[in-house]
Amino acid sequence: MKSQKRPLTRSGFLKLSAAAAVSAGLWGCSSRTAQPAAGPDQAANEIQQDDRAPAQAANETTKDDRAAAQTANQATQSPAGATHVATEPTTEQAYLAAAHGEDVEAVVKAALAALGGIERFVKQGHDVIIKPNICVDYHTPEYAATTNPTVVACLTTLCLGAGAKRVRVMDMPFGGAPDSAYAISGIEEAVKAAGGEMEIMSPVKFSKFDIPEGKSIKNWEIYRAILEADVLIDVPIAKHHSLARLTLGAKNLLGTVKSPNQIHQNLGQRIADLVSVIRPTLTVIDAVRVLMAHGPTGGSLDDVKQLNTVIASHDIVAADAYGATLFGLKGADIAYIKKSAEMGLGTLDLTSLKVEEINV
Amino acid sequence: MWAAWRRVRQIVQIAFFALFVALLFAGLQRQGSGENGLDWVTGFFFRINPLSALAAMLAGREWLGSLGWALATISLTILLGRVWCGWTCPLGSLLEWVHFRRARSNARSIPASLRSVKYFLLAVILIAALFGNLSLLILEPLALLTRAMTTVVIPGFNVAINGSEATLYNLSFLRPAVDWLESALRGPVLPVKQPAFNAPGWVALLFVGVIALNWLADRFWCRYLCPLGALLGWLSKISIFRPGIGEACTGCTRCAIACKPGAIRVKSASEAARSAADIHIMASECTVCLDCLNSCAKDGMGIKPVTQPEKSHEFDLSRRQFLQAAAVGTAGVLLARSDLRSRAKNSALIRPPGVLDENEFLAKCLRCSECMKVCPTTALQPALGEAGLEGLWTPILMARVGYCDYGCNACGQVCPSGAIAALPLEEKRQAVIGKASVNRNRCLPWASGIPCIVCEEMCPTPQKAIRLETITAVNEAGEMVELQQPYVLRDLCIGCGICENHCPLEGEAAIRVYAGG
Repeated sequence: MKSQKRPLTRSGFLKLSAAAAVSAGLWGCSSRTAQPAAGPDQAANEIQQDDRAPAQAANETTKDDRAAAQTANQATQSPAGATHVATEPTTEQAYLAAAHGEDVEAVVKAALAALGGIERFVKQGHDVIIKPNICVDYHTPEYAATTNPTVVACLTTLCLGAGAKRVRVMDMPFGGAPDSAYAISGIEEAVKAAGGEMEIMSPVKFSKFDIPEGKSIKNWEIYRAILEADVLIDVPIAKHHSLARLTLGAKNLLGTVKSPNQIHQNLGQRIADLVSVIRPTLTVIDAVRVLMAHGPTGGSLDDVKQLNTVIASHDIVAADAYGATLFGLKGADIAYIKKSAEMGLGTLDLTSLKVEEINV
Repeated sequence: MWAAWRRVRQIVQIAFFALFVALLFAGLQRQGSGENGLDWVTGFFFRINPLSALAAMLAGREWLGSLGWALATISLTILLGRVWCGWTCPLGSLLEWVHFRRARSNARSIPASLRSVKYFLLAVILIAALFGNLSLLILEPLALLTRAMTTVVIPGFNVAINGSEATLYNLSFLRPAVDWLESALRGPVLPVKQPAFNAPGWVALLFVGVIALNWLADRFWCRYLCPLGALLGWLSKISIFRPGIGEACTGCTRCAIACKPGAIRVKSASEAARSAADIHIMASECTVCLDCLNSCAKDGMGIKPVTQPEKSHEFDLSRRQFLQAAAVGTAGVLLARSDLRSRAKNSALIRPPGVLDENEFLAKCLRCSECMKVCPTTALQPALGEAGLEGLWTPILMARVGYCDYGCNACGQVCPSGAIAALPLEEKRQAVIGKASVNRNRCLPWASGIPCIVCEEMCPTPQKAIRLETITAVNEAGEMVELQQPYVLRDLCIGCGICENHCPLEGEAAIRVYAGG
């Protein structure tokens, strides 16, 4: 045995560093510790308590802000300049269009034509994101749990036709993995055929953004590209939902944020708060097939009703309010539609608007 | 001539190691399951592995066709010796590539009798298997390596990549680079959900320990400990073609120095007096790496057909040692079976869908962790205490970590031994793995008057096993509110755990799945 001490050699240093790196990796690997870049369901946003009385909300959120400020490199970011601009219609253009007919593609085109064409929203070189509802990876589109692939593909074609630089389609399913959900929903095949891209919403690409007008939440982790794209087209499928009553455009935006389950407390106000920053350029509601019960997952064809309708508007509140009428409800019956209207994010009263009904 | 063959061996070794890594990623979080047939391939190394096949067939007392390919490895071993160890085994290759400078001199002080440990271990494993116990397959080299890769290396790799990407993504000018990396890696290489496993430190300790032992001798694990090596070594005693010393031998012992597994014995005669008869290659310890043939200065060695079985060595298992091994195996099984966990079923012991009988499962599970690797939600976790001593590192479902996806049947598809039945998707959806129940003392609508229906929303069964009752109640602020309170219809619940997984309550979920449905 040698007894003299040798200085740390380069290879010795490398071995030590490797050992340190491996142990650091292990430290992060145990499922008992919080993950910095964990899956969406594990991430914790600052707000976990429910604001039971609206009066308390302000207090709680300031606490949250402080907590957020303390978390280094988790500082909230202002989405200023990132929100999409929803263009107001001219007098000839419909404020909201509802097209009915059996040819899904023709129905989508007719609805958009009434609004003044996709060119009103998508300009040459625009980066477009389409956000359908792909909530689970176990039902084919007939079950009406996921957005109709033809609607998504048709929008993709239209956007590319209007000169969009690229069209990305994405959602974050709560049941199953996104890649398999994209495939089973039929959306992946249809979108790729139309020339669009499917993007897996990576857990690393969420950032915490301020919600300056938020009443229940003051900041949340949102998928950055959703805010930064030139155009965001929200394409929900109209569905039953036990708490919200219906899943429509604004509710569909929960698929763009982390920890959507935490939104479920004080759901109506929190969805409205999210709408105030996400502001889709265009909302197209797929009501070709709708799910009347056991939503949002479904799984029985008995719960599916064929309505052959597509609704489109730049105003997410108006579109949702119209969507509610398909289920025999009014916009004011749905908390998140009502709250969004109260925040001035759109118009609830359809009678005051130029609504165009088209039969194809 | 042998230099070329040696090169061929190295290429084959690299190819098999690359195949191992490729299959590791091909089966990652369900990448390879489904119609493309990769599900069969992901378990390739286990299907040709004679030790797990023999042990599982002894333990389950049935012929497992999916593991029958091990006969090919056995035939090859009888023909050519331990080529598996020298040419195929990914752990063996890894241990060959990790070389410490002191290993050769350290090895001299290790007595040859230590080689008997692996035969002893093999005997213990097979005796325990006769009692239906496969616990020690955790030491089967492929299971050991796959488990370390699944629960330690891949998650660590993901933490590193995700962590650095998330940091870089904060800098706007680096975002395009992160976007590019993401679109290239997310899915095929990086799973969508960050994999994380229960107490990976123990798995890592075993794995790093096996590698660190190389410091004592090259391929220490393969020489002295590997139970699969023992089985193949034992078969190699009757192998037909073996490397041998020829007439031209000058007794220079270069071959013995070159031999990594230390399989060449030199009788202690002075170099001048040495001849071919003094140098002996132990067939049961030789991994057919061909290094000796290449090192021979006189071209005095070659692969020759031999009809005589090899004579026994002093480290072969004696009758006395075999009886000791039998006693250890039996006592170990008795100890494991007297664990409380094997008597009173643990409510946390939720097995993957398709497992019907716990004992039958324990007698078939190879502890290979392929199921944990493919699980898209990382719900399947290695058991520590939950399944008792006998079920260490077998898969259990931890619903708060992940849920059994209604659209997935990958675990059964990849299970090499059929311990998890390969159910068609429709059947898997009916397979009950547990039952959910609501904790009304914690549930938001029940306990605090706060609206929440997440569990009902998530429930994937078409008729909803979780239903809601609308009531009017007074909330914590004293206001009258309309609430929907969840309850479970036990007949419809399949125990998938998505309700528990998504329950927004902090800490323990207010709806939990319990085993024993």
